[in-house]
Amino acid sequence: MNATRIMALAQKEWREILRDRLFFALSFIVPALLMLLFGYGLSLDVENIPLAIHDLDRTPQSRDYAYRFIHSRYFAFQGYVTDEAQAGELLSSGRARAVIVIGQGFGRELAADRPAHVQTLLDGTFPYRTQVTKGYITAINTALTRELLAAYMVRTKGLSPARAAQYVDPVRLEVRYLYNQGLKSSWGVASKLIMALLLMCPPFLTALGVVREKESGSIYNIYASNATRAEFLIGKLNPYFCIAFINAMVLWAMACFIFGAPFKGSVTAFLASTVLYVLCSTGIGLLISVLVKSQIAAMIVTAVVTAMPSMLYSGLLTPVSSMNLSARAVAAVFPAMYYGRIIEFCFLKGLGWGHVWGDMLILAGYTAGLFLVGYAMFHKRVAA
Amino acid sequence: MSPDLRARARIWLRRAWALTVKEYIQLFRDTILVLFLAYAFTLDVYVAGVGVNWQLNNAGLGVADADKSSASREIAARFRAPYFQNLGSVASPEQGLRLLDQGRLMVVLDFPPDFGADITRGRQTSVQMQVDTANSAVGSLATSYGAQIVGRYGLERALGVAELDVDKIHGVPFLIDENRAWYNQNQEDSWFMALAELISNMTLLAILLPAAALAREKERGTVEQLMVSPLSPVQILAPKILAMGSIILAGLAAGVFGVVMGLFHVPVRGSLLLFFAVSALYVAFTAGIGLLIATVARNLAQVGMLTVLVFAPMIFLSGAWTPPEAMPGWMRVLMGCLPMHYMLDAAFGILLKGLGPAGLWRELLGIIGLGAPILGLSVWRFSRQFR
Repeated sequence: MNATRIMALAQKEWREILRDRLFFALSFIVPALLMLLFGYGLSLDVENIPLAIHDLDRTPQSRDYAYRFIHSRYFAFQGYVTDEAQAGELLSSGRARAVIVIGQGFGRELAADRPAHVQTLLDGTFPYRTQVTKGYITAINTALTRELLAAYMVRTKGLSPARAAQYVDPVRLEVRYLYNQGLKSSWGVASKLIMALLLMCPPFLTALGVVREKESGSIYNIYASNATRAEFLIGKLNPYFCIAFINAMVLWAMACFIFGAPFKGSVTAFLASTVLYVLCSTGIGLLISVLVKSQIAAMIVTAVVTAMPSMLYSGLLTPVSSMNLSARAVAAVFPAMYYGRIIEFCFLKGLGWGHVWGDMLILAGYTAGLFLVGYAMFHKRVAA
Repeated sequence: MSPDLRARARIWLRRAWALTVKEYIQLFRDTILVLFLAYAFTLDVYVAGVGVNWQLNNAGLGVADADKSSASREIAARFRAPYFQNLGSVASPEQGLRLLDQGRLMVVLDFPPDFGADITRGRQTSVQMQVDTANSAVGSLATSYGAQIVGRYGLERALGVAELDVDKIHGVPFLIDENRAWYNQNQEDSWFMALAELISNMTLLAILLPAAALAREKERGTVEQLMVSPLSPVQILAPKILAMGSIILAGLAAGVFGVVMGLFHVPVRGSLLLFFAVSALYVAFTAGIGLLIATVARNLAQVGMLTVLVFAPMIFLSGAWTPPEAMPGWMRVLMGCLPMHYMLDAAFGILLKGLGPAGLWRELLGIIGLGAPILGLSVWRFSRQFR
């Protein structure tokens, strides 16, 4: 291992990157821009669900009921529909995600102290949205039922209104949200985005950097030089690691200061894990670059291997614990899940070394494995 | 048509065809690339459909029961599969918090000492539910289900019935709600995820493959050869779109027939012909984005970064991963500018909702109206760069 040769190789790589100004600028702009866009845009707090109402009853009671939806911040009222065909048309075109059908005799039944029927038609294409919508509708319906029952008790059993209200609602559910009190997804999302973006961008840079030499043929200079394989890889990866680490720090600052994600845990534990993780994602790029011959293949393989898993299987959108076995296996194969846990510990839960060392060990092993395989598969001799 | 014109058309087509064949050969020589293309349209779609789950599934539940009455046990028992998984009791709320910290539990129910007695005496009482909402999607679902379970229990107590059977409620004012989820009655996540993943991969490849094919010619200098040949800019670009587009559509067909219909049994309501026609249109216009990138970039590395820059926001904001209703207003305006958003709507519209061409005018307008200017711009930039 010769430090001078490593320095020379690193210097050459730095110069090449710096001279490609668009590439250099993009390698910093892309992660930061994506952080801004996703941090603000990637929310799962469903609100303003377009809703239509089909009122077959047209009594004061049914109108009262309709107003509960019209005035709810969870729904955006799109107007009354007059027949079933129109309701179907609104749902299929996506202009309404839910249609409430108030049955005939709604007001009459309730006035006579009898159960009344309503029907909810939901657009089921996106099951998560459907579930959330159903939850909102059920909550509004339960509240109305309670009020009706309380009024009934006051009339028939002579309870005081306050007593009746307690009677119909014997068990209250007090919900305490831990770690993310406002249920603001931007907090949780912003800190997890560090993980996703650091798995997406560095492998792209690294893989392209190495494969570019292969495709243009300049790698033959290396093959013919006295630099060893290890020297070449260290020198080559040096700038990409540095860029990725700077990006990691920028993303961290953005998560804390722009999105206000609380960082309560240990700084040193987080820094050490970040170095490992960045090394790891650089290593993925290295491995891909060893496997493929062309830059096109490098890009496609990197995109398929990193972009999708970093979003879908990392716990960014849905927690790993709720996935089934095959997806959990996919998640366990990628480093994102482990770093995601570390981020969760360090940001929201305010914990330190004592909790993260297990995941750090996995990341370290993963990184070592990647580099060993990459090193073993990179040859200075062209395959015959 | 005059014979002269016919001959010229034949030459035009033959040249375009020769270039298309050249693209095919070049692509299929890259074995790893072909393997990953196959992976992206089949296995990847399958894993996304099977694995990624938006529902609350087996959320770990701990119960700190200081009451141990039949009421508290009854409520705790209702937090059950498939949403919750009761992992047993925790000794104290503090221990519950610790388990939440470690990520072993997601929900802890905390019953106060006199819980059961209060209910029997008709006094209002409360149960505390601590939810790990580090992941807010699932956290809000857990809260929503918890509220439904407890609300239902409360109504049963108030009515004095053992089980809330809507057919047996008489003589009290009560709201009976029937839900019907159209287009996906059993709420299969796999239908949505598989289709969304398929369209995402299709979009990625429709941008990246033509962009890389053109940028490679620029990087290697072979574009100069094309320039001195008797080919017009359209004749150089069209074969790239044709070759890459046809491969992508073949992959899409494999994904739709093999995975979406074959493995997930999505009942296709609309016309498959229409779906593939719209997809072909979409791929052709999305290739325009790729070609535009290739006219901006000077080498493939730049193409790679620009593609990430364009593709990642597209997939995020198009509605493939988060519902549009969850986005802030300005994002939804941005969303309206993304062809992929219209393609997703069209795909769900045709395949799940059974829409015909008449119901798709908005989607078609979006795909063509946004795609055509981009494609035009890329052709114009390309011809200007090399004349």
